[in-house]
Amino acid sequence: MLRRLRNLFYRATLGDQSYRFLFRPGPADEAVVIDCETTGLNPRRDEVIALAAIRIRGNRILTSQAYRAIVRPEEAPSSDSIRIHRLRAQEVAEGRPMHRVMPELLHFIGGRPIVGYYVDFDVAMLDRSVLRFIAIRLPNRRIDISELYYTVKYLGAPPGTVLDLRFMSILQDLRIPMLGQHDAFNDALMTGMAYLQLRDMQRRGVRLERSAPVRQDAPFGA
Amino acid sequence: MRGFDLSNPPFDRLRQEEVEEMEAALDIAYFPPGEVIVAHGSASDLLHVIIKGAVEVRDGATLEAVLGPLDTFDSRAVVHGAAGEDFVAAEEVLCHVVPRALVLGLIRRNAAFAAFFYAEISHKLAAFADQRGGDGVEGVLRARVRDARHGPAVTIDGLATIEEAGHRMRDANTNALLVRDDGRTGVVTGMNLSKAVVLRRLPLDTPVRDVCHFDVVSVDEEDFVYEALLLMARHGKRRLAIRSGAGYSGFLEDIDLLGLFAGNSQLIPGRIDRARDLAELGAAARDIQDQVERLHRQGLKVEVIAEITSDLNRRLFGRLFEMVAPPSIGSMGALLLMGSEGRGEQTLRTDQDNALLLAEEVPEGDLRDFRDAFSGALDSFGFPPCPGNIMVRNPTWSQPVGSFIGQLRSWIASRDPDAAMKIAIFFDAVTAAGRTDLLPRARSVLFEAMRGERVVLARFAHLIETFTTPSLGVLSTVMATVGVGPDEIDLKRAGIFPIVHGVRTLALEKAIAEPSTRARIDALVRAGSFEPDFGRELVGALRVFMEFRLRAQIEDLRRGRAEPGSAIRLDGLTAADRDMLRDALRIVRRFRETIRVRFNLAAF
Repeated sequence: MLRRLRNLFYRATLGDQSYRFLFRPGPADEAVVIDCETTGLNPRRDEVIALAAIRIRGNRILTSQAYRAIVRPEEAPSSDSIRIHRLRAQEVAEGRPMHRVMPELLHFIGGRPIVGYYVDFDVAMLDRSVLRFIAIRLPNRRIDISELYYTVKYLGAPPGTVLDLRFMSILQDLRIPMLGQHDAFNDALMTGMAYLQLRDMQRRGVRLERSAPVRQDAPFGA
Repeated sequence: MRGFDLSNPPFDRLRQEEVEEMEAALDIAYFPPGEVIVAHGSASDLLHVIIKGAVEVRDGATLEAVLGPLDTFDSRAVVHGAAGEDFVAAEEVLCHVVPRALVLGLIRRNAAFAAFFYAEISHKLAAFADQRGGDGVEGVLRARVRDARHGPAVTIDGLATIEEAGHRMRDANTNALLVRDDGRTGVVTGMNLSKAVVLRRLPLDTPVRDVCHFDVVSVDEEDFVYEALLLMARHGKRRLAIRSGAGYSGFLEDIDLLGLFAGNSQLIPGRIDRARDLAELGAAARDIQDQVERLHRQGLKVEVIAEITSDLNRRLFGRLFEMVAPPSIGSMGALLLMGSEGRGEQTLRTDQDNALLLAEEVPEGDLRDFRDAFSGALDSFGFPPCPGNIMVRNPTWSQPVGSFIGQLRSWIASRDPDAAMKIAIFFDAVTAAGRTDLLPRARSVLFEAMRGERVVLARFAHLIETFTTPSLGVLSTVMATVGVGPDEIDLKRAGIFPIVHGVRTLALEKAIAEPSTRARIDALVRAGSFEPDFGRELVGALRVFMEFRLRAQIEDLRRGRAEPGSAIRLDGLTAADRDMLRDALRIVRRFRETIRVRFNLAAF
């Protein structure tokens, strides 16, 4: 409800009317899974340095038409984020500025729902540039696979159940093979695979077993 | 696209630009449990490569196989336009999907990639067996000198005459001797002796120290063969002394190296013929076994290895027969090799399956001694005794042909499956030594007695039901999910026996005397018993099983297992191998069905 109102507001304030398509629903049964690699975890301060978006149509992940971009941030990335993303300063420097990437990305996403792991974070990161660019926030419906996973696995669990919603844990639980992490495309792809399986399980009303604890090797996910 | 395993056959055959083209076209598809991904008889626009989950391969109600990650399906539906089975998601499945047009394009341009999609299994096997060819010569060069066949170290005193030296060489069957002279060691060769006598006209009592040389070029027995090869080239020598600790342990000749490269099969016949006692014959028997692994490593086809091995084994048995048979048996007897040895389909050594037929009675003592000596010698050569006791040692299998024919008739009349198995083993017999007229006599009786006997033939055919063909990989998935080890498949029971025995039954019915399965199939095709295509498929399937079994056996030997079996672990196979095995098992299943219908086995 709140979002409907907000979207009405943004439709009115949209800076560039050629982007009205963002407010129209995308093709039925399509979605876009996105992942951003950032210089840090603070959406106010940190910046996007790489992003990938992959369309999903029905039960297909259209990896053959994926969108990916390396973005040149305004400030040099910290050494910490370099360690995580394995993107060296030089590669980042070869990226393109956000105002060049953004139109391509917005056309790629269109009115489709955005799928992600803790998708609000990725959208918040993007919104900063979108606001500057066309004076709106992304109006798309968001689908968070950690929420989907919660529904399929933990909904109705007795109080005191330990929730494990880490990205690695979800993938392991669904037996999705690990591709190299902290690469925007791979993360988006693994998120897409998890999405298709979780969506199908939810539709069929199948629950994931809660008893088996998930082994966890990595310190943190996403 | 990252995440696609390019080392997984057949995609490992793609060139860089083809890889890029394919990755650019890849999508991923999700299938919920129960969804039919490709339906039997239908074409498919996509080639699926499983990322996660299990896919059942179903033929009507029967579950034929379960595919897992890295498995590819279904090449028939993509390339030949109709899937052979239903492919059904057994759980949540994710697959890479490759568009059909791209697959067809790659097949047209890349012959190595195309091999995976051949309709005919023997072509596929040949294409994939070629991969192994690469390590042939290289592997040999990395062998140690001590692994190479070489001549003995025989030492002679420097003061001995050159005449004595010549005799020593002949007795030891060598071309070089070590000469000990005042604390020095030298070498004298046959060529040195010839030159001394013929060219320098030296008397025969010249001391050998005067004609030998002391600049011995030697190689350590722990050195690599290629180092020996380099030394020979550098010093222009055809022979090197082999050092072992402080002394010498023998001579390595260029011909020994040649033998190592070629699997030395050309040298073994000479060694068998020259063998003067059981110990030397035993050494030759070990040579036959040792070379199997080498031949395989050099990329020889399994049926060629089997042919070479069977041929050498027949020589070996023949020579052993000459050595141990007393004159009475030598003139009256025929030594038969049976079972796989008779069919010429033996690779690594298995049980002794042999028999002796006699034209007439021979003295009881002669026969008893021969039985013990012959079977005992084979035991000592390392041939395991036949568990069914089908060997010369057993009086049933060493008797005059007349009484043996009586025995044969009683087996034919018997309803005992054991008797049927004995007939089967006898039917594969060849004569390895002695009289050649006895086996055809006994065999013609067998043909005569079986002609038109539907019930007897059906009983014989029924052995094919002994082991049913397993569904490939059904257990593996179940087991893997409960954490038990991967399952194995017994290639002999699942593949080799049904083909061999089915073909044997048809050959018996048509009175075809050829012993090898391949020759029988050819003869059956000529006789119109089945289509040439199906004949080729059967031969191909048999070859697949034999090849895989040989690989498994060599692996077992390498791990030091005493009794190489014929079980193969499914998890040790590449996806391409599993695919081939699946094809071969499908052919077996079809063949078994043919036999079942033809002999009305349902009535049993």
